[in-house]
Amino acid sequence: VRLADVQFSDHGRGAVVGLTGEIDLSNAEGMRRAIARAIPNHAVVLILDLSEVDFLDSAGIQLIYQLREDLRARGQVLQLVVGSTSPTHDALTLAGVTHHVEIVETLDDALRASRAVGGERDSPHGP
Amino acid sequence: VRIPIGQGFAGRIAAERVAIFIADVDHADILNPILREKGIHSLLGVPLIVEGDLIGVLHVGSLKPRTFGPVDVAVLQVAAARAAPGIERARLFSALEHEHRVAMLLQRSLLPKRLVDVMGVSTAARYLPASDEVGGDWYDVFHLPHGRLGIAIGDVVGHGVKAAALMGQLRTALHAYAIEDHSPGRTLAMVDRFLDGMPGYEIATAAYAVLDPESGALRLASAGHLPPIVVGDGAARVVELTPAPPLGAFPYGRSQEHEMSLAAGEMLVFYTDGLVERPKIPLTQSIRELVDVVRAASSAEEACQLAVEGLVPDEGLRDDVAIVAMQHNELPAELSMRLPADPRVLADVRRVLRRWLRSRGADDQDAARITLSVNEACTNAIEHAYSPAPADFELRASATDGDVTIVVSDAGRWRTARGPSRGHGLAMIDAAMDEVEINSGVTGTEVVMRKRVQA
Repeated sequence: VRLADVQFSDHGRGAVVGLTGEIDLSNAEGMRRAIARAIPNHAVVLILDLSEVDFLDSAGIQLIYQLREDLRARGQVLQLVVGSTSPTHDALTLAGVTHHVEIVETLDDALRASRAVGGERDSPHGP
Repeated sequence: VRIPIGQGFAGRIAAERVAIFIADVDHADILNPILREKGIHSLLGVPLIVEGDLIGVLHVGSLKPRTFGPVDVAVLQVAAARAAPGIERARLFSALEHEHRVAMLLQRSLLPKRLVDVMGVSTAARYLPASDEVGGDWYDVFHLPHGRLGIAIGDVVGHGVKAAALMGQLRTALHAYAIEDHSPGRTLAMVDRFLDGMPGYEIATAAYAVLDPESGALRLASAGHLPPIVVGDGAARVVELTPAPPLGAFPYGRSQEHEMSLAAGEMLVFYTDGLVERPKIPLTQSIRELVDVVRAASSAEEACQLAVEGLVPDEGLRDDVAIVAMQHNELPAELSMRLPADPRVLADVRRVLRRWLRSRGADDQDAARITLSVNEACTNAIEHAYSPAPADFELRASATDGDVTIVVSDAGRWRTARGPSRGHGLAMIDAAMDEVEINSGVTGTEVVMRKRVQA
């Protein structure tokens, strides 16, 4: 049985990638490739929804940083969704990811923000 | 050699169902080259008929020119009449035997080759064919999302290739619905709907349970199947379920789910009716006998063995039997395991570790942080990837007065971070644990992690 699954949905300016299950060394690289292939060009923001992730380790954090690099090269921005009390949030905090990538609590928040981005294609976080 | 009906010597006898005499083979319409090669000169043949059906042709020949008269024809016809039923019986028997062999092979190929192997849970199973017929019994054990395990058993009513083939379809259907993370009751309802859509009228019983190895929580449901048995600590009991109707019996049948939990060391035993159905003995009595027999089992394997030894009669089985058992193993006070350096072991390590940490009094957050740290140390041991050759590493965990110590050791060197985004592993361990020590030497690397888990 698969440890984790990916689901894609398109919301105009925001493309949502929902991950479920557990992300570790065994599947992180395959997951990153699947996500990179599926990013639509018209998206301004890629919303990586980690709300349903049960476990995420350094391989998953590597995935997040690499994804951010991939997106930056395309002029797109990465936004993470994860509840602040989840173990995934704790792992992101322990690894310091919270200082580098914008995290919001819910998918609704992320979608609202993506609509507000307007035509701007520049990363709000800079290089 | 194939002779078409209506052509040649044998073909004409078969088509016309009459005796035919040929005085000179050389000048006749003979299709079978063997007759010519053997130097046969004259031939007499009669049809072989069983209950009005032609099953073949019987003929005699002579190497010298010879005339076969009416008496010869009569004698050959008597011989044909005597021989035909015997030949037909032998043909049918060999066809049956062939079907039996095919069904047997099919049955074997449709059962799992090996059972899942998970730390903290052990499983065992048996399939015993009936002495003369192949049945439709099956069992299955499989991985489910979130580290849960599924265990299933079933019995298709009927025998032979058809029952074995349907068994294979039901087993696959159940597995496919189950991995979509449906509950046992819902899974059985879906298999019922699947069977409803199949041509022909078929009925099967099945039971399906889901075990969460971390908590021991067990959910089960039955569709007309015999009640499972729970064994542990020298005792055994029948699990009183309210079974739904068998699959395929009534449309829209609904399985009631039963929730319970397996304590450490306890096991669930599923079996099919072939094990307990005996002439003139009430089912409740033979199930009680089974309970008495498996009571002493200390492992899943032993439960299967005791059930077979205690209930399968010496003279063989009238019906096939499937038994499958799953034990929620007791975890030792100290963990010590040698693991292959393969990323796929990480998920199993996390599950067994979380369970062990809980048993040592760790709360959710401490358990999550220690698990994350151990996962990182194991990831590093795996990533050392000394060479493409198989390698392994060791994990030891112990707790004294609320202080958890975990040691991950391997024969490689701690891999320093590569690239700007590497090295999160060690940073996470540092942040999550109270103390971390990395001892790297010529013989390998040892990561020692400590954390206090009780106030």
